[in-house]
Amino acid sequence: MKIGLERRKVISGYVFILPWMLGFLAFLVYPLVMSFYMSLRKMTSVSGMQMEYIGWDNFSRAVLKDVNFIPLFYAAIRNAFVEIPLILVFSFFMAMLLNHQVIGRAFFRAVFFLPVVIGSGFVMEQLLGQGVGSLQTLATDPSVVSAGVTNGLQIPDVIARYLSPEMYGNLSDILGRLTLVFWKTGIQILLFLAGLQGISESLYESAKCDGATPWEMFWKITFPLMTPVLLLNAVFTLVDSFTDIRNQVILYIKQVAFTNIEMGYASALGWIYFVFVFILIVLIFAFTRKRVVYMGM
Amino acid sequence: MLAASKQIFKPIGRAAYVFHRRWIKGITLSKIFLYLFMIALVVFTAAPIIFVASTAFKPLDELFLYPPRFFVMKPTFKNFGDLLIATDSSLVPFTRYLFNSVFTTVAIVLFSVIVTSMGAFIISKYKLPGMAFIFAVVISALMFPAQVTSIPTYFVISNLAILNTYWALILPKLAVPYNLFLVKQFMDQIPDQTLEAAKVDGANEWTMFWKIVMPYVKPAWMTVVIFSFIGNWNDFSSPLIYTTSEAMKTLPLAMLGVSNGTVGRMGAAAAGAFVTVMPSIVLFIILQRQVMDTMAHSGIKS
Repeated sequence: MKIGLERRKVISGYVFILPWMLGFLAFLVYPLVMSFYMSLRKMTSVSGMQMEYIGWDNFSRAVLKDVNFIPLFYAAIRNAFVEIPLILVFSFFMAMLLNHQVIGRAFFRAVFFLPVVIGSGFVMEQLLGQGVGSLQTLATDPSVVSAGVTNGLQIPDVIARYLSPEMYGNLSDILGRLTLVFWKTGIQILLFLAGLQGISESLYESAKCDGATPWEMFWKITFPLMTPVLLLNAVFTLVDSFTDIRNQVILYIKQVAFTNIEMGYASALGWIYFVFVFILIVLIFAFTRKRVVYMGM
Repeated sequence: MLAASKQIFKPIGRAAYVFHRRWIKGITLSKIFLYLFMIALVVFTAAPIIFVASTAFKPLDELFLYPPRFFVMKPTFKNFGDLLIATDSSLVPFTRYLFNSVFTTVAIVLFSVIVTSMGAFIISKYKLPGMAFIFAVVISALMFPAQVTSIPTYFVISNLAILNTYWALILPKLAVPYNLFLVKQFMDQIPDQTLEAAKVDGANEWTMFWKIVMPYVKPAWMTVVIFSFIGNWNDFSSPLIYTTSEAMKTLPLAMLGVSNGTVGRMGAAAAGAFVTVMPSIVLFIILQRQVMDTMAHSGIKS
């Protein structure tokens, strides 16, 4: 009887998970393995799907011969390293503000989350570009997108008249970037907010009794206790920024695959990219392990 | 008379007192600054959305105004009419795109919630052999950009002989690692005793799943509903890759065609974007609370 029940449990368990596993294997695991297989090969005939083994040639081509890949890769990395700290600082700051007893907190939370809802759509961006060009120009030139966003938020003429042209350009560039950053912080603000609410109030009270200033309390209590959430957010932002559909490298891979129809080479590019992101995340974990404070979490 | 006036004035006085305590008393200069700052930020985030809405109602001369104006001066519905005409000329009526989008999105949302929750239930509550490994694979799959695998996925679909059908748009979207992760985090909080008790009472896995587990993790699957709705409603790349016929195009893909056309279609494109964006916003407003709660919980637990 006991064995029968156990066996029934195991069988029904596998039956339950079967649909998900099928989808996962067919549309995620198999394509991944397959793309690695293809990255070592070169397509000889597009119509017959003939592949020929060429070893690591695709990988060396990406690094040594391709004039587009390395600059784009470098630009994507630089962009990420400018944006990630901006996003983290801004969302941390916003979470601190929202953590106060603010009237209409739910409203503000929702508004800051709203861009996550629509921002994922390419249609939105297209509209923000205001038909300045076709999809291609939009995709290759992010400044068009930001120009569209800030069109409504131009520097007023009264002020613009007194600025030099360079300063005007810089200022509108900053405005554009800021809007983009605001647009990417919805999830981060929520995670920080959840973390802040997990810090016990008694810590602050006892610190206040000992005469700590708010500034000291932030650096001695809030910040150390928030480091786990900070780490989580950093990793999340990193993955989000590198797998973003607007990312230059991703767009280049897409172009190689579907415009040039070089499937093997595109797969190799994809794997180089993925391994790089993976190593980056491992490095982040390795460097922050000693510095992250875990307390009853 | 006195009693009557007391009846009237006492609640008013009390309300005034409460109002004063709650709203007026706490106002300080720093609080006013805080609110002004936050409202400024809200304007920043909300600006593009308002811009979309106002552009959709702009007449032609305002669309081409330079420098562009933020708010619409003379609102008109002409753009929406243009949208219908612009898509009418492309052999397939506008309603067909709409139907394609609605049908595939609803199917994906419905089935992915069921399939994902069933999988998460087993991974979370049944300690079956191999489950830990599966979960590790799922976690690392979170990091893969989908574009890397889009080529082989095409071959899977073409080998299954479902290219250019609704299946090609629905099946690949059902097993999403992120959704499984989200629901699993929530299911971990269900006490084991509850499930044991149900089993003692003679419930089988199927009834247990629908009567206990699903109601318990409602916020989690509500979040899956909204995320997969948004992701698939806005997605134009998979119909672009997996389908070729005009009749299979979804709304965002068709809109792309409209805006890539001639200059005269600018208004139609703006109206199209408005029509495409609105359903997501409405759904988010309806399900807002659940999403917020789930995001907060899942973050801390991981």
